[in-house]
Amino acid sequence: MSLLLLRRRLFDALVIALSLFATAFTLFWLAWILWTTISQGASALKPSLFTEMTPAPGAPGGLANALFGSVMVVAIGVILATPIGVLAAIYLAEYKRGTRVAGFIGFVNDILLSAPSIVIGLFIYELFVLPFGHFSGYAGGIALAMIMLPIVVRSSAVALELVPSETREAALALGLPRWKVTWSVIVRAARPGIITGLLLGVARISGETAPLLFTALNNQYWSANPATPLANIPVVIFQYAMSPYDDWHALAWAGAFLVMLFVLGLGLATRLIFRQGGGR
Amino acid sequence: MSEALAPEAHPEAAYPPKIQVRDLDFFYGGRHALKGINLDVPAHRTTAIIGPSGCGKSTLLRTLNRIFDLYPGQRATGQVMFEGRNLLSPEIMVTELRREIGMVFQKPTPFPLSIRDNVAFALRHFERLSRGELADRIEAALRQAALWDEVKDKLGASALGLSGGQQQRLSLARTLAVRPQVILLDEPTSALDPISTLKIEELLNNLVRDFTVVIVTHNLQQAARCSHQTVFMYEGELVEAGPTETLFTLPTQRRTADYISGRFG
Repeated sequence: MSLLLLRRRLFDALVIALSLFATAFTLFWLAWILWTTISQGASALKPSLFTEMTPAPGAPGGLANALFGSVMVVAIGVILATPIGVLAAIYLAEYKRGTRVAGFIGFVNDILLSAPSIVIGLFIYELFVLPFGHFSGYAGGIALAMIMLPIVVRSSAVALELVPSETREAALALGLPRWKVTWSVIVRAARPGIITGLLLGVARISGETAPLLFTALNNQYWSANPATPLANIPVVIFQYAMSPYDDWHALAWAGAFLVMLFVLGLGLATRLIFRQGGGR
Repeated sequence: MSEALAPEAHPEAAYPPKIQVRDLDFFYGGRHALKGINLDVPAHRTTAIIGPSGCGKSTLLRTLNRIFDLYPGQRATGQVMFEGRNLLSPEIMVTELRREIGMVFQKPTPFPLSIRDNVAFALRHFERLSRGELADRIEAALRQAALWDEVKDKLGASALGLSGGQQQRLSLARTLAVRPQVILLDEPTSALDPISTLKIEELLNNLVRDFTVVIVTHNLQQAARCSHQTVFMYEGELVEAGPTETLFTLPTQRRTADYISGRFG
């Protein structure tokens, strides 16, 4: 009897040790990545990073144009994907829940969700770059919107489905029309979940490189016009990291660090919003 | 049972039927949940519907404001007459119908809005009110639901921060605010503690002055305490309906007698 107990205790300890090791293993790589980006990019991590343009090799410079370009293409992506994604989620979760149509659309959405981003980049290249004869920030934003859209649809639909059916019935029982109930009660109740999905979508697209290579491309100079090619962090990282120049390497690492920091910040914001939403 | 509730004290004619249910059948997909229901709901009285779980009492209630419309597999046939019209007919605008026949649910259902906006939400939709009028109507509804004193200093706070009993009274206030003619209550106290239950029951006794009330309850004492007419349902059929005192003391049906004496259910 006590032998069985001992065996169980040992097994228990083993499982705990293994899961602890797995957790530590994951965190170890994350910490290492962060540390590498900081230490390798240290020489570029200074105020000029935010004020100066991407330089020629050997010249001093920063990432100002790439940061601004990234903000612009991501903003275009968010502005396009958010309303379309949330409305599609309302259609799926509120008006067609449990139907075959919703099942089919959800399935197609999940395929888009896991579509390789390079395919989306090529597709947008065909549609919005070739006909115009030049790369542009708009094309980049549209490509990012295509990647973000299925994330928004999925997470918003889940958030809407989590609203208790009693809340929906109670609002309708007051004699209010369906659109008003959906918009003012259901969507509002699902808001923490919807915003979380949006933030996760932003985190995802802010590091995407492949679709931007085919669309926004890059720009050595400052441009605030999305109809022109736009510099952006991921593509700058890609080009500078592949170059033979040490100062470009440092800038690439610094850019990588900023992206990491941004994604980390979004992750924290997501947790905060969810905690507020759940604790009310 | 209080004197005021004794049905004998009031001649039948003083309370003409507000809702008349005729040959009502209800189906959940292929399941026949209500079978040939006939029932008169007298105006300005409280009608209690009792019966074991799954007997169809909530289904009957959910037919009266067509809330079942929300679910594609559910349908009702027969007649539910209200103000000379059959509620089940497709021409009825359910939004207008539900404004006249309000409903409070088993679980409190606060909207993710402030306490004030929970009550004001539907009011603003239906009526053009000045700020002052709106504030008056909100106060009146909250007073009627015996919640005013507890929330008057925090009307702007989220309704989700209220206790379960308060949330349920807020749900009631929200329904009262739009001034329906009929109020349907689906086991309104089954998720509440005894003190909150008592508060809601006390409210019910005052509501019949202004409203017609139909309450589904699991709690036989509650039906006896709070209603004028009681309806006993069993396996989708209406077994017996009559003045509450008579039904509880001299039931005519064997199944009613067995149920109220606790032999099943």
